[in-house]
Amino acid sequence: MKSKTVKKSIPNRYLDLEQWQTDRRKFLRGALLAGAMTQIGLFPSCSTKLKEGNDLLTAEQATILNDVLNIFFPNDGNGPDAEDINAFGYVMWVLHDTLNRKIEDNAYILVGLNWADETAQEIYFSPFVELSQEQKEALVGKFTELDWGKNWSSMIITLILEALVLDPIYGGNKNEAGWNWLNHTPGFPRPTEENRYERIMEKQMKLVK
Amino acid sequence: MADFDCDICIVGSGAGAGPIIYELSRAGYKVVVLEKGPWLKTADFTKDEMTATRRDAYTPNLEEERHIVVKKSSSGNWTEKNTADGGSDLWNGSCVGGSSNFMSAYFHRMKPNDFQLYSKYGPIDGANIVDWPIKYDDLEPYYAKVEKVIGVSGKVVDHKHQEPRSTPDYPHPPLTTNIVADWFVEGGKKEGWNIVPAARGIISEPKDDRRACYHSNYCGSYGCSSDAKASSRAALINKALETGNCDIRPLSKVYHIATNGQNEIVKAHYYDADDNKQSVTAKIFVVACQAVETSRLLLMSKNEEFPNGLANNSGQVGKNLLFAGGGAGSGYIRFDSLSEEDRKKFDVPLTFVNQALIDFYEIDDPEFGGKAKGGTIDFLIEHSNPMPKVFRSKYKNGTLLYGSDLKENLQDYFTKQKRVRYEVFCDWLPNDDCNVSLDENVTDKWGDPVGKVKLGYHEQNLKVGNFLANKGMTVLKNIGAIKVTKSITGNPPTNLMAGGCRFGDDPKNSVLNANCQAHEVNNLYVTDGSFMPTGGSVPYTFTIYANAFRVADHLIERLGKEA
Repeated sequence: MKSKTVKKSIPNRYLDLEQWQTDRRKFLRGALLAGAMTQIGLFPSCSTKLKEGNDLLTAEQATILNDVLNIFFPNDGNGPDAEDINAFGYVMWVLHDTLNRKIEDNAYILVGLNWADETAQEIYFSPFVELSQEQKEALVGKFTELDWGKNWSSMIITLILEALVLDPIYGGNKNEAGWNWLNHTPGFPRPTEENRYERIMEKQMKLVK
Repeated sequence: MADFDCDICIVGSGAGAGPIIYELSRAGYKVVVLEKGPWLKTADFTKDEMTATRRDAYTPNLEEERHIVVKKSSSGNWTEKNTADGGSDLWNGSCVGGSSNFMSAYFHRMKPNDFQLYSKYGPIDGANIVDWPIKYDDLEPYYAKVEKVIGVSGKVVDHKHQEPRSTPDYPHPPLTTNIVADWFVEGGKKEGWNIVPAARGIISEPKDDRRACYHSNYCGSYGCSSDAKASSRAALINKALETGNCDIRPLSKVYHIATNGQNEIVKAHYYDADDNKQSVTAKIFVVACQAVETSRLLLMSKNEEFPNGLANNSGQVGKNLLFAGGGAGSGYIRFDSLSEEDRKKFDVPLTFVNQALIDFYEIDDPEFGGKAKGGTIDFLIEHSNPMPKVFRSKYKNGTLLYGSDLKENLQDYFTKQKRVRYEVFCDWLPNDDCNVSLDENVTDKWGDPVGKVKLGYHEQNLKVGNFLANKGMTVLKNIGAIKVTKSITGNPPTNLMAGGCRFGDDPKNSVLNANCQAHEVNNLYVTDGSFMPTGGSVPYTFTIYANAFRVADHLIERLGKEA
């Protein structure tokens, strides 16, 4: 079964900038009165099941990342989804890759997760993790159009595509699900523990002489 | 020998260095090779996109070793960009064997007229065109030697610009190709054009300790796992090591070459793997660290004798840098446009095409006012490595895709079609706006000034490139490709560089003499592509190899006389 991407929309009131600003001011005023301004995002709803946090991501960040990956690469009956290719696990490998020379990209991933949560607060007055699936899809779709969100979305999609077609030794492409789906024949020899990227980079960086 | 650490010290180990290392070691001379990169062995090379292209583990860290690139913006102003800030860089392989490990190895010879571009086609305003100080006949025996020693596969099929050969054919038969190779030939015939096999520096049968190509389909940008690709490392350095005369010192970055006040080098100074300062003495020094870094090293090697840099009292070092002119284009052959039989033959994991259109190496067209220098068109299938393909699937009509739309686009790209390509090679005309100098502000991690590379191009590159690209597009359309495009720009392919230390007979406007010996420094030779005053309309590696074998003969003769 295949289904087209159904572009969910954010509520109409946010397309009207003036109305949106009014709503936002109301929200902020309410939050201030409740004394909760500094705690926004810090107390997820008990009803929301959060993905387990880890040494780099809070439970909220991990949940947002997982949700975003699954929206960008969904289970729609056509090939593997983000779970099938272990996109989350692959992104975690990327975040732990200390030899990556573009390490600032990793910080950008995290900043984007926080932006995602802030945008959820601004538009829905609710932490991202507490949104309905429909709201999450609408919001993530909007990220691809927003100034800050375009580049971040592109980067996350690149990570998904890497998880789809790079060698499974880096955590993605689980059971070669990406290659199988795309009828792709990998090049041989494939990397082993002895000559995977980190081992070569260590030689290039003179960490191993 | 007692007065020297070795007979010959070579800076760099790529295509310009390999023949010197190989020939001098085998002739019994003691050779020391200073290579800035690590010594990666065949077992280190896999078909891992993460290593080769996503993380660029074969090149230096741009935060530590960058270049300043100067380009003309769309508004016409020259603007500087630091390569550490993103975009393409100017490194092509920092390891033993250099970028020859990662070449695609299209081995076209230059044609006789390429050696006399000025005499044959005359001047072009704004271009510093000169004839070479040697002729095709001087280099022909060395092209033949390269074919035999490092192993070149192909088949000579006559065409109107076929260069004279001393051997009837290549020593190794052509590599197996995809069925589309035949279609390209037929596509050319429809126009009366003669598309012929292109030779490759890849062996199609075993040779010595090297195994035949096994068609991994991950070739350009990837190291070879069977040593079939004729890298300097696999084809030459490994053989040189067997002599016991060759000392390879990896992770050794040369930063200064010192002279004695009498036009002779006495030492090459370098940082070792621990960044300690070391030096080597030798009778003769050869610099071959690819065009940009070769000019940079000479410019960095200033002293009282050479206040503008080694061998640069003429002011010519770094001038007339070359890249390959031209560009590329592509189209798509949809599987549903083919018969079931053709589809089965076409849709196989075999990406070699190895066909080229050389009929337009010389253009005779009113648009060019008569005869003009043209170039080569190679035909290809998109490489197998999937990341470029997924990037092409990421957008549709400029819109970032996600969700089911993205998945459908990916599936269509990978399973319903193949992208066929052509690459155009024409002369990158030498000009005053394409050169290497030292940046006055930016330094590398050792505190040495980085190379500042100005990338000006001549409009003629685009004119010829577009002329040839139109021929390539016609062929693609003739074989049923759709969405056929061309991209001819002034942006240089940074993996194809030459010039900067051009050779010539006049010391006032060249750095090297006909033997690639510096006019101003008795024991300095430059044997990478830097020597080329013009580069022909083909990739440079074959000619760099051939010329380095030629210089090696000269060096053996010289050392023999001086013994």
